[in-house]
Amino acid sequence: MEKYTLIITEKPSAAQRIAYALDQEGKPEKVEDKNVPYFLVKRDKPLIVVSALGHLYTVAHVGKGRNYYPAFHFKWVPRYLVEKNAKQVRLWIEVISKLAQNAEEFIDACDYDIEGSLIGYCLFKYACVNKQDIAKRMKFSTLTKKALEKSYSKPLPKLDFRLIEAGRTRHEVDWLYGINISRALTLAAKRWSGKYATLSTGRVQGPTLKFLVDREKSIRSFVPTPYWSIRATVDLKGTILEVEHEKKTFEKRADAEAVMRTCKGNTGQIERIEERRTQQKPPIPFDLGALQAEAYSLFGYSPRRTSSIAERLYLGALISYPRTSSQKLPSVIGYRAILRGLGKERAYKRLVSILLHVGELKPREGPKEDSAHPAVYPTGNTPDRSLSSSERRVWDLVVRRFMAVFGEPAIKQSMKATLNVNGHHFYLRGKRILKEGWMKFYKPYIRAKEVLLPPLKEGESMELKEVLCEDRFTKPLPRYNPSSMLKKMEEKGIGTKATRADIIETLYSRKYIAEERIVVSDLGFDIIDVLHRYCPGVISVKLTRELEEKMERIQAGNEEREKVLIDAVGILKPILEGLKQSEAVIGKALSEAVQRSRIQERLVGGCPTCHTGKLMVLYSRKTRKRFIGCTNYFKNICRTSFPLPQRGTVKPLHKPCTGCGWPTLIVQMKGRRPWTLCFNEGCPKKEERRKRLAMQMLQQRGNK
Amino acid sequence: MQCKCCNREATNEYCGLHERAYANILRKFEIWKHAADLSWEQYLNEIVKNPFTGAWAKEVAERLLNNKE
Repeated sequence: MEKYTLIITEKPSAAQRIAYALDQEGKPEKVEDKNVPYFLVKRDKPLIVVSALGHLYTVAHVGKGRNYYPAFHFKWVPRYLVEKNAKQVRLWIEVISKLAQNAEEFIDACDYDIEGSLIGYCLFKYACVNKQDIAKRMKFSTLTKKALEKSYSKPLPKLDFRLIEAGRTRHEVDWLYGINISRALTLAAKRWSGKYATLSTGRVQGPTLKFLVDREKSIRSFVPTPYWSIRATVDLKGTILEVEHEKKTFEKRADAEAVMRTCKGNTGQIERIEERRTQQKPPIPFDLGALQAEAYSLFGYSPRRTSSIAERLYLGALISYPRTSSQKLPSVIGYRAILRGLGKERAYKRLVSILLHVGELKPREGPKEDSAHPAVYPTGNTPDRSLSSSERRVWDLVVRRFMAVFGEPAIKQSMKATLNVNGHHFYLRGKRILKEGWMKFYKPYIRAKEVLLPPLKEGESMELKEVLCEDRFTKPLPRYNPSSMLKKMEEKGIGTKATRADIIETLYSRKYIAEERIVVSDLGFDIIDVLHRYCPGVISVKLTRELEEKMERIQAGNEEREKVLIDAVGILKPILEGLKQSEAVIGKALSEAVQRSRIQERLVGGCPTCHTGKLMVLYSRKTRKRFIGCTNYFKNICRTSFPLPQRGTVKPLHKPCTGCGWPTLIVQMKGRRPWTLCFNEGCPKKEERRKRLAMQMLQQRGNK
Repeated sequence: MQCKCCNREATNEYCGLHERAYANILRKFEIWKHAADLSWEQYLNEIVKNPFTGAWAKEVAERLLNNKE
């Protein structure tokens, strides 16, 4: 068989795109071996493009059994050996190994970042048997034909071993932390209660949960402070406008009421009119964090969702590589060519033509740089398939932001008229945009509102129509949401752009946190309490950041992997000894927390019959069927019970029924849309529905 | 000893979490008294019905109201 070059990508869709881009006729042959697809590409010399499925190798414990710690010995193994749901990884590795046997050249075309480099390295080292030293590296930021051709014709002569070392160390350190402390917690709880529950924490997970617990504590113990404000309106030639008192807040109710009495029903005079012009610079290009934050605030997408949408857009060659921390757009990406490409889309045609008429295109950039990739930008390609609405939205956001960074500053005018009413000053404020500048490119996503005032003159009189003294209270700090949490992690320098969103999702899946505006569960509180008492280092931001810095130094070639690992073990040893010594106390605290959390999950709401008990999802000992019952049943006080569907899952919704105010549940069954269940037989909504159905039946009979 | 509000472990009347809420209630009373001329009981009633009061602070305030005798 003729020798060929083996190109390995990170995902199947990237393999397909690379194969189509590199084939001389643009028609590579797709072959499937054991259901693993790869592509035969015709060029000056034959190529085979095959993909991984993300990480095919992982860190695993050397030794048997899971019921002990510390576990400091590890090795890299195929994922199917340690993960239940990774059976297909075996086939993938077998096919790649087979393809490697006849290959004479090897090229790593995985994403150019820590994870991508590590995926490629593991495959060349283990699946292709020590080919990591002869493998070359394709480096690209977009999957467009032009970028792929260029990176194929000029590959880097070898893999980026510094990046790989940093990646390996990160995985190994995280494994050491995660496996040991999670095992310590899980085993402590299991040995105390005899029941198994997965309790996990990690190097980044612990400090992240700590931020949330601290915020939750401050919210739950918050006592508001009262203050008062004066709200008034004026009648300006028939238009009612709101004015604000010069003193925004009054600490004493009596003071505010005195002002209100003095001003009520009086007429004021405009003493002064001030106008101010301000320039608002264009926004800076998106890095991943900024894109996630903007998509959350505009569309409510979680950071993980935005990240996966952006990944799909990248694989579709519509945007550049999204996992970047750069806020720079170098000119080599070809601004004009991208704009010309975007101009083919009707929605952008007019905006693009404005920018193409600008003499020199210069983007506004932010300070952050990323040596591997520029900021997120559109490739200039237009979609070759129909995009889902969420993909369309994120793509539009990236396109408009890209155009906006080249725009001119916007000019805004703010106006403040000072009104004198019996010696008290009130301000009438207005603002308007004089020159749109960059805003015209980013229009749908601009939140600033204009307040237009009619023409005003100094000395003009106005009657105060309404003067109100409003009770106000200070508010607790806002709850974190997935987006603001991500920002906090970024600000504190913990985790990486690739892992932060997943860590937040893990906290949800472990039931340490719930809801979109994040609420910490009792289990979350207890985990942090235990860690704080017995191993505070694990939730320390300082320690995590120090490790992050060490890994950055490995990437820069200033630190050795072995030393960082030895340091990590040195830190872990005393922590684990401490945990072992207090195992009984920790086990008791955690078991009780798990039990409380399980009960909490089944609580539906207050009992509408006895008003003292709580309704709960229970299981009959005799029939094993589930039903809703009152907790006072066991005290022989209340015998309230309601039947439940026996198929699918039921979860308390913690929202009252809009018809009767009773607690509700959400029922999920395979193949059906989830629905909200009100178990009150006398609910007016149910009655309404019954009547409607009866009417429909009657009508149908009449028609027949 | 158990916390009077949540049955968690406590050294005094309250666990660490409710103790913090109790301290906040005591600290804020002077501000409320000065601002709105309220008695201790009126103040507790106000914070119990205030939507911004945290859950633990409400639990402590309710307990203080119920145990005023």
